[in-house]
Amino acid sequence: MADVEMKPADKEEKKEEKKDEETKEEEKKKEPPTPLAEIKANFVFIDKAVSTLEPRFTHRVLRTLTSLLKKIDETILRKAIEEGYPKESATKKALLAWLSPAASTDVEMEVDASAAAPKPAPVTTEPVPEIDIYLRLLIIHQSLKSGSPVNKAKELSVETVQKIQSLNRRSLDSIAAKVWFALERAFEIGGDLAEARPMLLAAQRTAALRHDDDTEASLINRLLRSYLAYSLYDQADKLVSKTTFPISAGNPQYARYHYYLGRIKAVQLNYSDAHTNLQQAIRRAPPATVAPGFYQAVHKLSVVVELLMGDIPDRSIFRHPVLEKPLKGYFEIVKAVRTGSLSQFQQTVVKHAALFQTDKTYTLITRLRQNVIKTGIRRLSLAYSLISLKDICVKLHLDSEEDAEYIVGKAIRDGVIDGQLVHEKGWMTCGGAGGLKRGYGAEVADTFSRRIGYCLELHNQSVKAMRYPLNAHRKELADAEGARSREKELAKEIQDGDLDDDDIGGDF
Amino acid sequence: MAQNQLKTRYNDLKRSFEAKPSDLKKCGSLLAQLKIGLIETGLLTPQGEHNLDDLVVARDILEIGAIWSIRTRDVPSFDRYFSQLQTFYTDYSSVLPPSKNEYPIRGLNLIRLLTQNRIADFHTTLESLPIPADAIADNQYISHPVNLEQWLMEGSYSKVWNARERAPVEEYKFFVDSLMGTIRNEIASCEEAAYESLPLKDALTLLFFNTQSELLTFAQQRGWQVDLSKSTINFSRKGEEQVDIPKEKLISASLAYARELEQIV
Repeated sequence: MADVEMKPADKEEKKEEKKDEETKEEEKKKEPPTPLAEIKANFVFIDKAVSTLEPRFTHRVLRTLTSLLKKIDETILRKAIEEGYPKESATKKALLAWLSPAASTDVEMEVDASAAAPKPAPVTTEPVPEIDIYLRLLIIHQSLKSGSPVNKAKELSVETVQKIQSLNRRSLDSIAAKVWFALERAFEIGGDLAEARPMLLAAQRTAALRHDDDTEASLINRLLRSYLAYSLYDQADKLVSKTTFPISAGNPQYARYHYYLGRIKAVQLNYSDAHTNLQQAIRRAPPATVAPGFYQAVHKLSVVVELLMGDIPDRSIFRHPVLEKPLKGYFEIVKAVRTGSLSQFQQTVVKHAALFQTDKTYTLITRLRQNVIKTGIRRLSLAYSLISLKDICVKLHLDSEEDAEYIVGKAIRDGVIDGQLVHEKGWMTCGGAGGLKRGYGAEVADTFSRRIGYCLELHNQSVKAMRYPLNAHRKELADAEGARSREKELAKEIQDGDLDDDDIGGDF
Repeated sequence: MAQNQLKTRYNDLKRSFEAKPSDLKKCGSLLAQLKIGLIETGLLTPQGEHNLDDLVVARDILEIGAIWSIRTRDVPSFDRYFSQLQTFYTDYSSVLPPSKNEYPIRGLNLIRLLTQNRIADFHTTLESLPIPADAIADNQYISHPVNLEQWLMEGSYSKVWNARERAPVEEYKFFVDSLMGTIRNEIASCEEAAYESLPLKDALTLLFFNTQSELLTFAQQRGWQVDLSKSTINFSRKGEEQVDIPKEKLISASLAYARELEQIV
């Protein structure tokens, strides 16, 4: 058991060794905490958070959750529970029951481990329920990770949620948010996300009423995810319009929320809003290397939405190391749209159909067809001052001249090109680069005010986001006090100095 | 209403619906009674466990109701029936045997959204269909409205016009008329922008009119100048619109900037 426990720690040490040869000696003395120690340190933090009513400590514990989850296994959890609870605790038994029964060899290993490390003083008081919930959260994640039957994780998460609700403690809120995430994950892996929906909805109502922002934000995202997984865009849209996303929610939740909003808006053809939301999602998302999956998903959607808006996405996106490979199919689509070649577009769609299907962007991409045609017509109108409908038809691979006439007519009406159709002769005359003169006046002012608004908003948000340490002003006061006395001294010295100067002057 | 009474009414309805031509009046009165029956047995909006056969019967009744509404040209009623059918199509889809009417009715709903120009709703509904997106082309009931939408968006109006005869179900044609009205207006607005003048004969074909008198009344509605001697239509160019400077907006924006700057500095 000691072996298992040490492995991840060893690995970490090795990494550090590579990184910094010189401080090897030091590292050995101060080896990184074992997962078990980390969990126990977290117990202390949670306890502190509850006793001082300071949620900051809980947040700190939860921040390490992802990295911790990679390191733990059942034995570590078992030991953490054994040592964290008094001997005859009912909670302990309940917790241990969720772990698979210990192997027989475990017993002797236990002796080994306890011999190696001095046994800590046995805990006699029952820890706060927050620790119980935290351990349950770890167990759920562990069983999801280990690939044991999902039913167990599902049962445990449902039970945990019920427990949270019956406890009804505000200090539990941020842990509860994570538990909901785990619950949703368990149901999703189990393939029956729809079953969890009524439970999530009820919990969302309660969370909203209690101003439990962490949980509410998490739950809204859970619900949106579950709706979108079943393509229930209508319900998702209604949920969004009926709820307000808590402003104090953390960045990861915001990023998710914006991504889901972007999805909904894109399906509803509201591309500019979708684009803003996706931009927000990208901005708020963790760095690409930490969460590549999310980063890729958002960018895929954002590329399609940008194309639908009639813009061409930045070339640099497709060179980004995290995005280059997964976005290859999308890059080809962009190329096809840019050149306005309908046949190339059609071929690319067919070629990457499976990819778009799994990304759920297929229907969005099929909508691009009209953009391809528009770009094609635009290119033609720029290149020719007069072109026959038949040539347009050939160049854009349209089915008939009749179609070409209607399509060009529509393009003229929509302001894509500036031109004129002459039906008797069967040609189109193009008047210069279309729509350039639209760029003046009110529109410019609008764009300007939008940008300024964005900058101001950014500034205000950053001001709001600043954190001031508690009681910092006291120190400042003390400093001021010190400064004042120093000033007095200085003034005195100057006075003395003045005298000195005078003396010197006198000497001369 | 007793269960067996419901059954006999249902059989009655089925008979009179399948009879050719179906007895629309009788269907209507039967449907009204059946709906009361369904409410009493809790089958109109079922929740939880129900007898499978009962559910199938309830679904059949609602489906007949939906198609009946189209035949009697009652679109709001179709909307109601369709919403009620949603429960059967989504929540009970795993238990119930698939209905052969499901996709025709879903397709009808799509066309309805299209004719009412509710494009956003059209796409949301399309997105939530329980079939994979690349299988849409193989499903004739769904591919018909999907193609129509695509042609409308890109401007291939003649394809839409030609497709009206190729409706997969008789009921689709009901919507075609109102769809043609929409298209005609679309084309007309395109022509106003794209042509200076157009010979009457060509306008006739472009707008899919059969007789000149139809065209002339249409031209009158849109306020076109028809030159009968040369037999052309002249589209009056709308002069460059006078662009107003949005004074109030600019002032309020400048004041807002000033206020914000004050806060920052």
